[in-house]
Amino acid sequence: MSLVLIDILIATVPLMLIFASLFAFTTWLERKALARIQNRIGPNKVGIPCTRISLFGLGQPAADGIKMLFKEDIVPRGADRLFHLLAPILALIPAMLVLCFLPLEFPWTKSLLPVQAFLLDGAVIFFFAITGLNTLAVFMAGWASRNKYSLLGGMRAVAQMVSYEIPLVLSAVIVVMMVGSLNAAVIADAQTGFNWFVFSPWGFAAFVIFFIASLAETNRSPFDLPEAESEIIAGYFTEYSGFKFALFFLGEYIAMFAISGLAVTLFLGGGDGPGLANAPWLSVVWFIAKIFALIAMMIWLRGTLPRLRVDQLMGFAWKFMLPLSILNILVAGFAWHAQQQDSKTITVITWVISLAILYGTASGLNQLNRGSARPRKYKYAE
Amino acid sequence: MSILGGGIFKGMAVTLRNFVGSYINKKERLTTNDYSWRPDGDLPQGIGDYPKEEGEQLSDTTTVTNYSRNFPMLLHDGGEPMDTVRCVACQICERECPPQCIYIEKDYDENGKYIKRPAVFDIDVSVCMSCQICVEVCPFDAIVMNSQFELSTPDRFGGLLVRRDDLLKSNDYYHQIHPEEAAARDQKMAVEKAAKEAKKKAAEEKARAAAEKKAAEAAKGDAE
Repeated sequence: MSLVLIDILIATVPLMLIFASLFAFTTWLERKALARIQNRIGPNKVGIPCTRISLFGLGQPAADGIKMLFKEDIVPRGADRLFHLLAPILALIPAMLVLCFLPLEFPWTKSLLPVQAFLLDGAVIFFFAITGLNTLAVFMAGWASRNKYSLLGGMRAVAQMVSYEIPLVLSAVIVVMMVGSLNAAVIADAQTGFNWFVFSPWGFAAFVIFFIASLAETNRSPFDLPEAESEIIAGYFTEYSGFKFALFFLGEYIAMFAISGLAVTLFLGGGDGPGLANAPWLSVVWFIAKIFALIAMMIWLRGTLPRLRVDQLMGFAWKFMLPLSILNILVAGFAWHAQQQDSKTITVITWVISLAILYGTASGLNQLNRGSARPRKYKYAE
Repeated sequence: MSILGGGIFKGMAVTLRNFVGSYINKKERLTTNDYSWRPDGDLPQGIGDYPKEEGEQLSDTTTVTNYSRNFPMLLHDGGEPMDTVRCVACQICERECPPQCIYIEKDYDENGKYIKRPAVFDIDVSVCMSCQICVEVCPFDAIVMNSQFELSTPDRFGGLLVRRDDLLKSNDYYHQIHPEEAAARDQKMAVEKAAKEAKKKAAEEKARAAAEKKAAEAAKGDAE
């Protein structure tokens, strides 16, 4: 019994440590990248304490963390104290929990008893079920703060997350259909040898939809309406300070890792990459490198795109992403049947046709949705 | 018909250009750290590292450009500051200051006679917005902008209220930090002074002429 407990600890504690330290690194990376995009330098002072070694400001996350720990924890007078406390914890736990379902093959978990949680057969379903809890945490924070900005942010978050959950799940369905399994490890194994799902028309479309929806799910720019600083003053965590705020921040970044990890598992071949035959431990490195590639993309997009309006956000989810992802499921279904024929010509034809269908539908939907959004005409000022 | 999502890629290309450019072309991109005025004309190695080297003086105003202006200072013409201070405590700047951050009291000698200098001259730099209006309205060229930027203090109230004795800076210092402006101001003052003296001389001459005339008339009257 106690042996199983130790095994569980060996399997999970490094996971939490690794991702928590990656979180610290990512905050630094994001601040640096955004600064450079805006022609600034970014954090570059804090390094090793009591020396003048600055290490490109890599000590900044640690300094921020210590600062957060020592800050006063302010709870508004009218707030619901219990839920105000619970919300940041609830924001962090699901994000941490789903990390277990990523098929990260750490060398030290190989020999363990079957505590590898990712062997769970319904991992993909479980992933979505648990990340769905995040919405609850955000709304709880907005409600418990007794602040109109927070409540607005919370309501925006619920609307956004519920809307974008659908294209997110529907694009993941394609991979599940193709592999015939919900097990994350099986899905990753099915893509070995650069047989990644992103290298097919339907897979690529699904990946793009998944990536955009995951931006919205993790409240990243350009879909950061729930925490729009310029409109509703950080939204649902307006009233959070000190370590509770840090927990929200941590939860948000861990959720980014988790959902990028799922995208890597589903579309980018999991831990697949060159050099695996000689060094199997490289699979973890490849996995995390792919996660970081997606995170870098998120940072880049954040530095580029302005925030959407609420109606644009909703319209994009329901009028563009949802029809496209449903059509993509149909295309993928036909493609699966075509692939069963095991003939080169049929495969090529399927590729061409599905590419044409998907691109045509996407641009058609784009044209349809333009609708009233024409260039503004001035009546008097010309 | 443009490619779907082309606008996003265009925007991303712009940000990528800025990102890469800030590493390659520091001088042009990282404009907040402008060291191009330096004699060697090149950026120091640890760009943006501040304070730059160990032992380098923190509030060294010579490390900023000649065009930097932060907060006002009072000028004196060298020697004992309060003997040569240009300010006469006319309080024009106090009245014109938009955020009302200047406080002036006139100085009186023991007989209660007004001597033309300030007894108190405080500037609250936490309120000052560096608008330079005080500099423009001053008829005595007594208040000009300093470029000192190291003003952080552990005292929130007293530390940000700069007193008269700390505001007083010599004209030489002014020449050192803002050479062009100081030279122009000195020239302007010299011209004004010359004009004033010429006027005074003319007035004196006139008075003397009038007196001579009067004396001549009086002499004439006496003769009659």
